Amino acid sequence: MNESVDFLKGTLDLMILKTLSWAPTHGYGIARWIEHCTGDVLQVEEGSLYPALHKLEERGLIAAEWGISEHNRRAKFYRLTTAGKKQLLAAHDSWARFADAVFKVLRTAPASH
Amino acid sequence: MAEPHAPNASRAATWRRYLRFWGPRAEADVDDELRFHIEMRVRDYIAGGMTEDEARAATARRLGDLATNRAECLTITTRRERRMTRAQLIDALGQDAHFAFRTLGRQKGWTAVAILTLALGIGANTAVFSVVNSLLLHPLPYPHADRVSILFQEPTQGNQTGMTVMVSPRPELVQAWRENAHLFESIEGFAHSDMTLVPARGEAATVHAASINPSLARFTDQHPLIGRSFSDADVKDGHVALLGEGIWRSRFGSSPTVLGTPLMLDGTSYTVVGVMPSAFRLPALFQQSTDVWLPLDVHNDKIGMSAMARLRPGVNSGAAQRELDSITARLDVKKGSRIGFRTKLVPPSRMVSFRDSLLLLTGAVALVLLIACANVAHLLLARAATRQRELAIRAALGAGTGRLVRQLLTESLVLAGAGCVGGVAVGWLGLKTLIALRPSSLSNLDAAQMDTTTLLVAIGLGVVTGLLFGVVGAIQSARHSTHEALKASALSSSQSRRQHRLRGLLVVSEIALSTTLLVGASLLVRSVLRLQTMDPGFDPKGLYGVSIVLPEKSYESTAAKQSFYAELVTRARAVHGVESAMMAEGAPPSRNFLIGALQLEGEAPPKAGTTAFISYNGVQPDYFRQMGIRVLQGRTFSDTTEKSTEVMVNEGFVRKFWHGENAVGRRLRIAFNNKGDWSTIVGVVADAYTSGLTSQASDPLLYMPFHGQFQPALIVRTTAGTNAIATVRSLVPAIDRHLPSPSVTNVEDAMLESIASPRFTMLLLALFTVLALVLAAVGLYGVLAYAVAQRTREIGIRIALGATRRTIARAIIGQGAVLALCGVAIGLGGAYWATKFIASMLYGVPRGDPLSFVAGALLLFATALLACLVPMRRAVAVDPLIAMRAE
Repeated sequence: MNESVDFLKGTLDLMILKTLSWAPTHGYGIARWIEHCTGDVLQVEEGSLYPALHKLEERGLIAAEWGISEHNRRAKFYRLTTAGKKQLLAAHDSWARFADAVFKVLRTAPASH
Repeated sequence: MAEPHAPNASRAATWRRYLRFWGPRAEADVDDELRFHIEMRVRDYIAGGMTEDEARAATARRLGDLATNRAECLTITTRRERRMTRAQLIDALGQDAHFAFRTLGRQKGWTAVAILTLALGIGANTAVFSVVNSLLLHPLPYPHADRVSILFQEPTQGNQTGMTVMVSPRPELVQAWRENAHLFESIEGFAHSDMTLVPARGEAATVHAASINPSLARFTDQHPLIGRSFSDADVKDGHVALLGEGIWRSRFGSSPTVLGTPLMLDGTSYTVVGVMPSAFRLPALFQQSTDVWLPLDVHNDKIGMSAMARLRPGVNSGAAQRELDSITARLDVKKGSRIGFRTKLVPPSRMVSFRDSLLLLTGAVALVLLIACANVAHLLLARAATRQRELAIRAALGAGTGRLVRQLLTESLVLAGAGCVGGVAVGWLGLKTLIALRPSSLSNLDAAQMDTTTLLVAIGLGVVTGLLFGVVGAIQSARHSTHEALKASALSSSQSRRQHRLRGLLVVSEIALSTTLLVGASLLVRSVLRLQTMDPGFDPKGLYGVSIVLPEKSYESTAAKQSFYAELVTRARAVHGVESAMMAEGAPPSRNFLIGALQLEGEAPPKAGTTAFISYNGVQPDYFRQMGIRVLQGRTFSDTTEKSTEVMVNEGFVRKFWHGENAVGRRLRIAFNNKGDWSTIVGVVADAYTSGLTSQASDPLLYMPFHGQFQPALIVRTTAGTNAIATVRSLVPAIDRHLPSPSVTNVEDAMLESIASPRFTMLLLALFTVLALVLAAVGLYGVLAYAVAQRTREIGIRIALGATRRTIARAIIGQGAVLALCGVAIGLGGAYWATKFIASMLYGVPRGDPLSFVAGALLLFATALLACLVPMRRAVAVDPLIAMRAE
């Protein structure tokens, strides 16, 4: 589990942006969405989600606003900004190429002998 | 799966943002966010079948290191909020400034008047401050100049001269101080003399020489340009010299080969060992630059010495003075001297000639700046009134009062900034003009220049004035309610009245300040006019003073001197065109000499250890006839020998000591140590301004027969002008070929020069007063013009209802006259109080001189009426039809 957490750190930003591209939500919503999508394979260390969110907010990729949650509780909602959308597209492409390349290496056996 | 949700309401967010306005709520926000997460997770786990405790433990595991993450969030959020606040502020300021430029640019005429007014006010202050800064605040280019003092001695009592008597210390005393004083870092003695330089080629010239201790170079922290400065060995040898930078450049072509060459000064040869920079100089009271520096011979007690000292850090000047006094007392006991002196430590700035004038002018320009401020303030007020609708609309559209006030303040500061730039330019020009116009006696003015301090002061003045007049306008505008201003009609009457009262107040204070300046300037003008037209009590026309310096070495005995003088007078009288020639200890307009221990017969002798100083001059019998000074009683001297017991006095002497009674035949003596022969007064002469026009002719003065004790002068009267004088000058080297041609003073020119400084002060004050007057007139004009513009409709109605043009004109003039009257009344009161500061600069005019006060008031009224004319004519020309149709 621990390895996957470390591995996740670099890609956490990307997953947050992707989650928010569907609709604005709060931090817990993001955690649940990632959990749901990956079928609990990638369990985020949930505490680290928040510094990541605040950093993204600072960089202007997402914006936050206080609102009322589905359970009638006060919660901080995040949404993707225009800059965030651009960043998501760029990161999505490069991540796909990277994953593809890694996958190719893992799949390909030497053609000799 | 948890469906992402949009915020369904944000009303709560609004009030929270309000709360955040009062301070960062970053911490609470972060905690709220995390708490929400924990509670949701626990809730989901419980829903999934866990007990509450299990759920909480599982949640904590899932969250990981909460404390670190929380701290990280906090840092990021705080940083972000701070950055946002700053960005918002800068953005708002930028907007304000941009808006200010646009608004000001739209009203070019108005802006130009405001900026010009400020530039003149700030410029006048900058120019005067440059002079104050260089002359009074930094009078000497020495390190730690704040600890440097000039040392004088002051008689402890019995000063009969009516003026402050300060005596330079004796050489042996300075030497004793140097050796024994511990509270001083250094004490420097120095002596000045004019010497004759005889170059290998070319004509002899008089050069200004100063004798100094070798330590002066360290004292002033100056190093020679080439060669070396003096060493202690030079003092014993004595025949070495340093050149000043000025003479080295002008006379020696800046050549380094001058080192080691001989310099013939007063018949003695000195070797040049170095050249000192022009910053190597002695205190400003000796205004000439020094051409040649010589080592000081501390054992020569014939020379007149001066001294300055630098205190050790933290030593107070009282303690330092007591130390010097106790050293003086020990030396006096040893020498048996009985005259009582007290040491005085005088800061160099006090010695600056023109000091009082500078302080006066500083006050005057400060008043000018106040007037300029008042002017711009009501320019802003008038504009604020016309902009009221605009401001009200902006307020209605959501601009807060704070924002509007800030907007107006920004406009003021932009104006002030422009005024500041203009002010620096005006100040620079002003300073150049000031230096160009200066009389030759104020050569130290040349050192004045604009530096960083001056610029900072100009900027400071700009900001302060900007805030000063800006706040008035801003407060006034902020007071207006949106509701009232938006009403389509003109201002509500109560508001207009309040505004008008404020503007009236500003104009009244402007007029009052101008009146004060005007009265002061009138007094100075009257004083200078009096000086120029005054009867000096003698006839200076065609009179020349030739100063004679006989070297002690070759003229040791009085007899030798006397025979030289006799020969000179005889030969001078024979020169073609010379009407008369005679010797005197002092030629006008020189200061008289002081002599101690005056005792009148029938009165107790001056107490031992005190001095009763009296001014005196030693003259030959026909002095009075040649000078044109009337002998009122008795006769002139008949016995001119050294044993003579005849003296004469002036009217002032008789008035002071015998209340104007008959003085001829009375006796007096100079009673040093209670001894001395009695002399009889043989004649009384009229008072004369022989010490310069700014001196007091009526100060008591004692005349004694001429003996040629000091450095006397040959006084020559001629109608043949310079030709005869050139011949007279050549007589001195003709009688003794070792003597240079003497320097000559044209008495008539010198008498005029003696009032050049008061005339210069008067000129500057008059200039600033005119400036103030113009500004005040512009202010009054502005108020009246505005009033007429506001009341056009009312005036139209009045005319329609039958008011004559004359009634209208009278109303407008009346309004102006009331303002002017109030201002003048206050101003005259202020002037009466303020004139006590210029009393010492007035000659023959009392500070309460009614003529100056009346003249000041009348001139102001005339200006005020002139300022009323244009608004009045505009009011009279109102066409009732047009006026009533407007709006």
